[in-house]
Amino acid sequence: MIASKNSSYLARIKPGWKFGALLVLSISLYLIDSWQLLLLSFILSIVLLLSAKVGFKQLRMPLMSLAMILSVVFVLLGLQTDWGNAIVSVLRLLTMCLFAYSVSLTTSFDAMLELFQQVASPLRFIGANPAQIALGLSMTIRFIPELKKVYLEVSEAQHARGLGNNPLAVSVPLVIRSLKIADETAEALDARGYDSAPYRR
Amino acid sequence: MPTKTDSTSQTRNTVYVAVFAAMIAAMGLLPPITLGIIPVPITLQTLGVMLAGALLGPWRGALASLVVVVLSLAGLPLLSGGRGGLGVLFGPTGGYLVGWIFGSLVIGALFKYWVLRNENKGVRFVSGLISVLLGGVVVIYLFGVPWTAATTGLGLGTSLLGSLGFLPGDVFKAVVTTLVALTVHRSYRGLMG
Repeated sequence: MIASKNSSYLARIKPGWKFGALLVLSISLYLIDSWQLLLLSFILSIVLLLSAKVGFKQLRMPLMSLAMILSVVFVLLGLQTDWGNAIVSVLRLLTMCLFAYSVSLTTSFDAMLELFQQVASPLRFIGANPAQIALGLSMTIRFIPELKKVYLEVSEAQHARGLGNNPLAVSVPLVIRSLKIADETAEALDARGYDSAPYRR
Repeated sequence: MPTKTDSTSQTRNTVYVAVFAAMIAAMGLLPPITLGIIPVPITLQTLGVMLAGALLGPWRGALASLVVVVLSLAGLPLLSGGRGGLGVLFGPTGGYLVGWIFGSLVIGALFKYWVLRNENKGVRFVSGLISVLLGGVVVIYLFGVPWTAATTGLGLGTSLLGSLGFLPGDVFKAVVTTLVALTVHRSYRGLMG
Protein backbone atom coordinates (compact mmCIF):
# COMPACT_ATOMS: atom_id res chain seq x y z
CA MET A 1 0.00 0.00 0.00
CA ILE A 2 1.91 3.00 -1.27
CA ALA A 3 0.93 6.59 -1.89
CA SER A 4 0.78 6.85 -5.65
CA LYS A 5 1.11 10.52 -6.49
CA ASN A 6 -1.15 11.64 -3.70
CA SER A 7 -1.19 15.44 -3.64
CA SER A 8 -3.65 16.09 -0.83
CA TYR A 9 -2.89 18.26 2.20
CA LEU A 10 -2.08 15.10 4.16
CA ALA A 11 0.74 14.24 1.78
CA ARG A 12 2.43 17.52 2.64
CA ILE A 13 2.58 16.88 6.39
CA LYS A 14 5.88 15.42 7.59
CA PRO A 15 5.73 11.61 7.97
CA GLY A 16 7.07 11.84 11.51
CA TRP A 17 4.07 13.92 12.62
CA LYS A 18 1.61 11.62 10.88
CA PHE A 19 3.15 8.54 12.43
CA GLY A 20 3.23 10.15 15.88
CA ALA A 21 -0.41 11.21 15.56
CA LEU A 22 -1.37 7.68 14.51
CA LEU A 23 0.38 6.22 17.54
CA VAL A 24 -1.32 8.64 19.95
CA LEU A 25 -4.69 8.09 18.26
CA SER A 26 -4.52 4.31 18.47
CA ILE A 27 -3.55 4.35 22.12
CA SER A 28 -6.38 6.73 22.95
CA LEU A 29 -8.83 4.61 20.97
CA TYR A 30 -8.06 1.71 23.31
CA LEU A 31 -8.92 3.90 26.28
CA ILE A 32 -12.35 4.83 24.87
CA ASP A 33 -15.14 2.44 25.78
CA SER A 34 -18.29 4.37 24.82
CA TRP A 35 -19.68 3.45 21.44
CA GLN A 36 -20.88 7.01 20.77
CA LEU A 37 -17.33 8.38 20.91
CA LEU A 38 -16.03 5.45 18.84
CA LEU A 39 -18.72 6.01 16.21
CA LEU A 40 -17.71 9.66 16.08
CA SER A 41 -14.04 8.76 15.57
CA PHE A 42 -15.04 6.16 12.97
CA ILE A 43 -16.89 8.87 10.99
CA LEU A 44 -13.87 11.14 11.45
CA SER A 45 -11.56 8.47 10.05
CA ILE A 46 -13.79 8.07 6.97
CA VAL A 47 -13.88 11.84 6.47
CA LEU A 48 -10.10 11.96 6.77
CA LEU A 49 -9.67 9.14 4.26
CA LEU A 50 -12.08 10.79 1.80
CA SER A 51 -10.51 14.21 2.21
CA ALA A 52 -7.11 12.71 1.40
CA LYS A 53 -8.39 11.77 -2.06
CA VAL A 54 -7.22 8.19 -1.71
CA GLY A 55 -7.74 5.93 -4.71
CA PHE A 56 -10.27 3.25 -3.85
CA LYS A 57 -8.65 0.76 -6.16
CA GLN A 58 -5.77 0.53 -3.69
CA LEU A 59 -8.10 0.17 -0.74
CA ARG A 60 -10.28 -2.62 -2.09
CA MET A 61 -8.01 -5.59 -1.34
CA PRO A 62 -6.92 -4.58 2.20
CA LEU A 63 -10.49 -3.61 3.09
CA MET A 64 -11.78 -6.97 1.94
CA SER A 65 -9.28 -8.97 3.98
CA LEU A 66 -9.89 -6.71 6.97
CA ALA A 67 -13.66 -7.19 6.64
CA MET A 68 -13.18 -10.95 6.63
CA ILE A 69 -11.15 -10.96 9.85
CA LEU A 70 -13.44 -8.45 11.53
CA SER A 71 -16.62 -10.38 10.75
CA VAL A 72 -15.14 -13.48 12.37
CA VAL A 73 -14.10 -11.42 15.39
CA PHE A 74 -17.56 -9.82 15.53
CA VAL A 75 -19.44 -13.12 15.56
CA LEU A 76 -17.07 -14.74 18.08
CA LEU A 77 -17.17 -11.76 20.42
CA GLY A 78 -20.93 -11.44 20.13
CA LEU A 79 -21.46 -15.08 21.01
CA GLN A 80 -18.91 -15.04 23.78
CA THR A 81 -19.72 -11.78 25.54
CA ASP A 82 -22.49 -9.50 24.29
CA TRP A 83 -23.22 -7.81 20.99
CA GLY A 84 -22.65 -4.29 22.32
CA ASN A 85 -19.11 -5.26 23.23
CA ALA A 86 -18.62 -6.81 19.80
CA ILE A 87 -19.72 -3.59 18.07
CA VAL A 88 -17.33 -1.50 20.19
CA SER A 89 -14.33 -3.75 19.47
CA VAL A 90 -14.94 -4.02 15.75
CA LEU A 91 -15.62 -0.30 15.43
CA ARG A 92 -12.37 0.44 17.24
CA LEU A 93 -10.29 -1.84 15.01
CA LEU A 94 -11.92 -0.53 11.86
CA THR A 95 -11.28 3.08 12.90
CA MET A 96 -7.67 2.37 13.72
CA CYS A 97 -7.04 0.63 10.41
CA LEU A 98 -8.72 3.43 8.45
CA PHE A 99 -6.50 6.01 10.19
CA ALA A 100 -3.47 3.84 9.44
CA TYR A 101 -4.52 3.56 5.78
CA SER A 102 -4.80 7.33 5.46
CA VAL A 103 -1.23 7.68 6.77
CA SER A 104 0.13 4.90 4.54
CA LEU A 105 -1.63 6.09 1.41
CA THR A 106 -0.49 9.68 1.74
CA THR A 107 3.14 8.93 2.53
CA SER A 108 5.53 7.83 -0.18
CA PHE A 109 7.59 4.69 0.33
CA ASP A 110 10.81 6.74 0.33
CA ALA A 111 9.52 9.12 2.99
CA MET A 112 8.42 6.18 5.14
CA LEU A 113 11.80 4.45 4.85
CA GLU A 114 13.54 7.71 5.69
CA LEU A 115 11.40 8.00 8.81
CA PHE A 116 12.30 4.45 9.87
CA GLN A 117 15.96 5.25 9.27
CA GLN A 118 15.69 8.30 11.51
CA VAL A 119 13.99 6.25 14.20
CA ALA A 120 16.74 3.62 13.93
CA SER A 121 19.62 6.10 13.82
CA PRO A 122 20.43 5.76 17.56
CA LEU A 123 21.41 2.16 16.71
CA ARG A 124 24.56 3.62 15.20
CA PHE A 125 26.00 3.85 18.67
CA ILE A 126 25.81 0.10 19.19
CA GLY A 127 27.62 -0.59 15.94
CA ALA A 128 24.94 -0.63 13.25
CA ASN A 129 26.04 0.88 9.98
CA PRO A 130 23.45 3.08 8.17
CA ALA A 131 25.09 2.54 4.77
CA GLN A 132 24.94 -1.20 5.34
CA ILE A 133 21.24 -1.02 6.28
CA ALA A 134 20.41 1.04 3.19
CA LEU A 135 22.31 -1.43 0.99
CA GLY A 136 20.46 -4.35 2.55
CA LEU A 137 17.02 -2.82 2.10
CA SER A 138 17.54 -1.82 -1.52
CA MET A 139 19.11 -5.18 -2.39
CA THR A 140 16.11 -6.97 -0.87
CA ILE A 141 13.74 -5.11 -3.18
CA ARG A 142 15.94 -5.94 -6.15
CA PHE A 143 16.15 -9.64 -5.23
CA ILE A 144 12.39 -10.24 -4.86
CA PRO A 145 11.59 -10.61 -8.61
CA GLU A 146 14.86 -12.53 -9.03
CA LEU A 147 13.93 -15.10 -6.41
CA LYS A 148 10.39 -15.41 -7.70
CA LYS A 149 11.88 -16.23 -11.08
CA VAL A 150 14.21 -18.82 -9.53
CA TYR A 151 11.26 -20.42 -7.74
CA LEU A 152 9.22 -20.65 -10.94
CA GLU A 153 12.18 -22.15 -12.83
CA VAL A 154 12.87 -24.73 -10.14
CA SER A 155 9.25 -25.77 -9.76
CA GLU A 156 8.85 -26.04 -13.54
CA ALA A 157 11.94 -28.24 -13.77
CA GLN A 158 10.71 -30.47 -10.93
CA HIS A 159 7.26 -30.69 -12.51
CA ALA A 160 8.93 -32.03 -15.65
CA ARG A 161 10.52 -34.72 -13.49
CA GLY A 162 7.18 -35.49 -11.86
CA LEU A 163 8.32 -33.98 -8.55
CA GLY A 164 6.30 -30.77 -8.72
CA ASN A 165 4.31 -31.57 -5.59
CA ASN A 166 7.30 -32.61 -3.53
CA PRO A 167 8.12 -29.63 -1.28
CA LEU A 168 11.67 -30.84 -0.65
CA ALA A 169 12.46 -31.25 -4.35
CA VAL A 170 11.51 -27.60 -4.86
CA SER A 171 12.83 -25.98 -1.65
CA VAL A 172 16.31 -27.47 -1.54
CA PRO A 173 17.35 -26.25 -5.03
CA LEU A 174 15.62 -22.93 -4.34
CA VAL A 175 17.66 -22.38 -1.18
CA ILE A 176 20.94 -23.57 -2.75
CA ARG A 177 20.47 -21.30 -5.75
CA SER A 178 19.58 -18.37 -3.50
CA LEU A 179 22.77 -18.93 -1.51
CA LYS A 180 24.75 -19.05 -4.76
CA ILE A 181 23.19 -15.75 -5.87
CA ALA A 182 24.11 -14.26 -2.50
CA ASP A 183 27.72 -15.49 -2.73
CA GLU A 184 28.12 -14.18 -6.26
CA THR A 185 26.68 -10.79 -5.31
CA ALA A 186 28.93 -10.52 -2.27
CA GLU A 187 31.96 -11.40 -4.40
CA ALA A 188 30.94 -8.86 -7.04
CA LEU A 189 30.58 -6.16 -4.37
CA ASP A 190 34.00 -7.01 -2.94
CA ALA A 191 35.60 -7.09 -6.38
CA ARG A 192 34.32 -3.57 -6.98
CA GLY A 193 35.78 -2.46 -3.68
CA TYR A 194 32.50 -1.70 -1.97
CA ASP A 195 33.56 -0.49 1.47
CA SER A 196 31.33 -1.89 4.16
CA ALA A 197 33.67 -1.44 7.08
CA PRO A 198 31.87 -0.61 10.33
CA TYR A 199 31.06 3.03 10.85
CA ARG A 200 33.87 4.76 12.78
CA ARG A 201 33.57 7.99 14.67
CA MET B 1 37.32 -18.05 8.73
CA PRO B 2 37.17 -14.25 8.62
CA THR B 3 36.26 -12.53 11.86
CA LYS B 4 33.07 -10.56 12.37
CA THR B 5 34.74 -7.17 11.92
CA ASP B 6 36.23 -8.18 8.59
CA SER B 7 34.63 -6.03 5.88
CA THR B 8 34.40 -8.99 3.50
CA SER B 9 32.20 -10.97 5.82
CA GLN B 10 30.21 -7.81 6.60
CA THR B 11 29.23 -7.46 2.96
CA ARG B 12 28.46 -11.16 2.74
CA ASN B 13 26.26 -10.97 5.83
CA THR B 14 24.30 -8.06 4.38
CA VAL B 15 23.78 -9.86 1.08
CA TYR B 16 22.66 -13.05 2.85
CA VAL B 17 20.15 -11.08 4.90
CA ALA B 18 18.85 -9.34 1.75
CA VAL B 19 18.50 -12.58 -0.22
CA PHE B 20 16.61 -14.35 2.55
CA ALA B 21 14.40 -11.32 3.17
CA ALA B 22 13.62 -11.37 -0.55
CA MET B 23 12.86 -15.09 -0.30
CA ILE B 24 10.36 -14.48 2.52
CA ALA B 25 8.77 -11.72 0.44
CA ALA B 26 8.71 -13.79 -2.76
CA MET B 27 7.01 -16.65 -0.90
CA GLY B 28 4.24 -14.21 0.04
CA LEU B 29 3.67 -13.49 -3.65
CA LEU B 30 3.00 -17.13 -4.45
CA PRO B 31 -0.57 -18.38 -4.24
CA PRO B 32 -1.34 -20.30 -1.02
CA ILE B 33 -1.26 -24.10 -1.21
CA THR B 34 -4.36 -26.05 -0.25
CA LEU B 35 -3.78 -29.56 1.02
CA GLY B 36 -6.82 -31.79 0.92
CA ILE B 37 -6.88 -32.66 4.60
CA ILE B 38 -6.32 -29.15 6.01
CA PRO B 39 -9.15 -26.61 5.72
CA VAL B 40 -6.97 -23.47 5.98
CA PRO B 41 -4.79 -22.64 2.95
CA ILE B 42 -1.07 -22.65 3.72
CA THR B 43 0.89 -19.53 2.86
CA LEU B 44 4.56 -20.13 2.30
CA GLN B 45 5.70 -16.96 4.02
CA THR B 46 6.44 -18.47 7.43
CA LEU B 47 8.39 -21.23 5.67
CA GLY B 48 10.76 -18.45 4.61
CA VAL B 49 10.89 -17.09 8.15
CA MET B 50 11.76 -20.55 9.52
CA LEU B 51 14.35 -21.17 6.80
CA ALA B 52 16.05 -17.82 7.42
CA GLY B 53 16.61 -18.72 11.07
CA ALA B 54 17.62 -22.33 10.46
CA LEU B 55 20.08 -21.48 7.69
CA LEU B 56 21.53 -18.09 8.63
CA GLY B 57 21.65 -18.33 12.42
CA PRO B 58 20.10 -16.06 15.02
CA TRP B 59 21.20 -12.55 14.06
CA ARG B 60 21.13 -12.69 10.31
CA GLY B 61 17.91 -14.72 10.41
CA ALA B 62 16.18 -12.22 12.68
CA LEU B 63 17.44 -9.36 10.50
CA ALA B 64 16.01 -11.00 7.37
CA SER B 65 12.58 -11.16 9.03
CA LEU B 66 12.99 -7.61 10.34
CA VAL B 67 13.75 -6.33 6.82
CA VAL B 68 10.51 -7.85 5.50
CA VAL B 69 8.53 -6.36 8.39
CA VAL B 70 10.08 -2.92 7.89
CA LEU B 71 9.54 -2.91 4.12
CA SER B 72 5.93 -4.05 4.40
CA LEU B 73 5.13 -1.53 7.14
CA ALA B 74 6.67 1.15 4.95
CA GLY B 75 4.06 0.26 2.36
CA LEU B 76 5.28 -2.49 0.03
CA PRO B 77 2.57 -5.15 -0.48
CA LEU B 78 4.88 -8.01 0.50
CA LEU B 79 2.70 -9.92 2.95
CA SER B 80 0.59 -12.80 1.68
CA GLY B 81 -2.57 -11.57 -0.04
CA GLY B 82 -0.80 -8.38 -1.08
CA ARG B 83 -1.12 -6.75 2.32
CA GLY B 84 1.20 -4.05 3.56
CA GLY B 85 1.22 -0.65 5.18
CA LEU B 86 0.77 0.48 8.76
CA GLY B 87 -2.74 -0.98 8.98
CA VAL B 88 -1.22 -4.46 9.31
CA LEU B 89 0.57 -3.59 12.53
CA PHE B 90 -2.52 -2.02 14.08
CA GLY B 91 -4.81 -4.86 12.97
CA PRO B 92 -5.49 -8.10 14.84
CA THR B 93 -2.74 -10.08 13.10
CA GLY B 94 0.11 -7.60 13.77
CA GLY B 95 1.56 -9.75 16.54
CA TYR B 96 2.42 -12.62 14.20
CA LEU B 97 4.48 -10.20 12.14
CA VAL B 98 6.46 -9.07 15.18
CA GLY B 99 6.72 -12.70 16.25
CA TRP B 100 8.53 -13.59 13.00
CA ILE B 101 11.59 -11.61 14.09
CA PHE B 102 11.87 -13.43 17.41
CA GLY B 103 10.88 -16.73 15.82
CA SER B 104 13.83 -16.70 13.42
CA LEU B 105 16.07 -15.53 16.26
CA VAL B 106 15.14 -18.51 18.43
CA ILE B 107 15.35 -21.03 15.56
CA GLY B 108 18.74 -19.64 14.55
CA ALA B 109 20.14 -19.80 18.08
CA LEU B 110 18.92 -23.36 18.63
CA PHE B 111 20.31 -24.51 15.28
CA LYS B 112 23.65 -22.86 15.82
CA TYR B 113 24.29 -23.98 19.38
CA TRP B 114 22.38 -27.25 19.59
CA VAL B 115 21.12 -28.89 16.39
CA LEU B 116 24.23 -28.61 14.25
CA ARG B 117 26.45 -29.88 17.08
CA ASN B 118 24.68 -33.22 17.13
CA GLU B 119 26.50 -35.87 15.14
CA ASN B 120 23.82 -38.56 14.94
CA LYS B 121 21.46 -38.14 11.99
CA GLY B 122 18.30 -39.07 13.85
CA VAL B 123 19.13 -36.85 16.83
CA ARG B 124 19.86 -34.02 14.41
CA PHE B 125 16.46 -34.33 12.78
CA VAL B 126 14.53 -34.57 16.04
CA SER B 127 16.38 -31.66 17.63
CA GLY B 128 15.94 -29.63 14.44
CA LEU B 129 12.22 -30.28 14.35
CA ILE B 130 11.90 -29.34 18.03
CA SER B 131 13.81 -26.11 17.39
CA VAL B 132 11.73 -25.07 14.39
CA LEU B 133 8.48 -25.87 16.19
CA LEU B 134 9.63 -23.92 19.25
CA GLY B 135 10.70 -20.84 17.30
CA GLY B 136 8.42 -20.98 14.30
CA VAL B 137 5.22 -21.99 16.06
CA VAL B 138 5.43 -21.44 19.83
CA VAL B 139 7.31 -18.13 19.76
CA ILE B 140 5.30 -16.68 16.85
CA TYR B 141 2.00 -17.66 18.48
CA LEU B 142 3.29 -16.25 21.77
CA PHE B 143 3.30 -12.83 20.10
CA GLY B 144 0.36 -13.32 17.77
CA VAL B 145 -2.27 -14.74 20.11
CA PRO B 146 -2.09 -12.10 22.90
CA TRP B 147 -1.95 -9.39 20.21
CA THR B 148 -5.19 -10.67 18.68
CA ALA B 149 -6.72 -10.92 22.14
CA ALA B 150 -5.67 -7.37 23.03
CA THR B 151 -6.76 -5.72 19.79
CA THR B 152 -10.11 -7.48 19.45
CA GLY B 153 -11.09 -8.02 23.07
CA LEU B 154 -11.52 -11.74 22.43
CA GLY B 155 -10.31 -13.90 25.29
CA LEU B 156 -6.87 -15.53 25.11
CA GLY B 157 -8.50 -18.95 24.84
CA THR B 158 -10.65 -18.00 21.86
CA SER B 159 -7.73 -16.31 20.08
CA LEU B 160 -5.63 -19.42 20.59
CA LEU B 161 -8.46 -21.60 19.31
CA GLY B 162 -8.72 -19.41 16.21
CA SER B 163 -5.03 -19.76 15.47
CA LEU B 164 -5.12 -23.54 15.87
CA GLY B 165 -6.55 -23.75 12.36
CA PHE B 166 -3.12 -22.77 11.09
CA LEU B 167 -1.32 -25.32 13.26
CA PRO B 168 -1.37 -28.28 10.80
CA GLY B 169 0.09 -26.07 8.07
CA ASP B 170 2.73 -24.71 10.43
CA VAL B 171 3.77 -28.19 11.55
CA PHE B 172 4.02 -29.24 7.91
CA LYS B 173 6.24 -26.22 7.20
CA ALA B 174 8.37 -27.02 10.24
CA VAL B 175 9.04 -30.54 8.94
CA VAL B 176 9.95 -29.19 5.49
CA THR B 177 12.21 -26.53 7.04
CA THR B 178 14.07 -29.08 9.15
CA LEU B 179 14.66 -31.43 6.22
CA VAL B 180 15.73 -28.61 3.89
CA ALA B 181 17.96 -26.94 6.47
CA LEU B 182 19.77 -30.16 7.40
CA THR B 183 20.28 -31.07 3.72
CA VAL B 184 21.60 -27.63 2.83
CA HIS B 185 23.88 -27.46 5.88
CA ARG B 186 25.41 -30.76 4.78
CA SER B 187 26.45 -29.38 1.41
CA TYR B 188 27.01 -25.76 2.41
CA ARG B 189 29.26 -26.12 5.42
CA GLY B 190 30.22 -23.11 7.50
CA LEU B 191 27.06 -21.24 6.63
CA MET B 192 26.76 -20.05 10.20
CA GLY B 193 30.45 -19.26 10.62
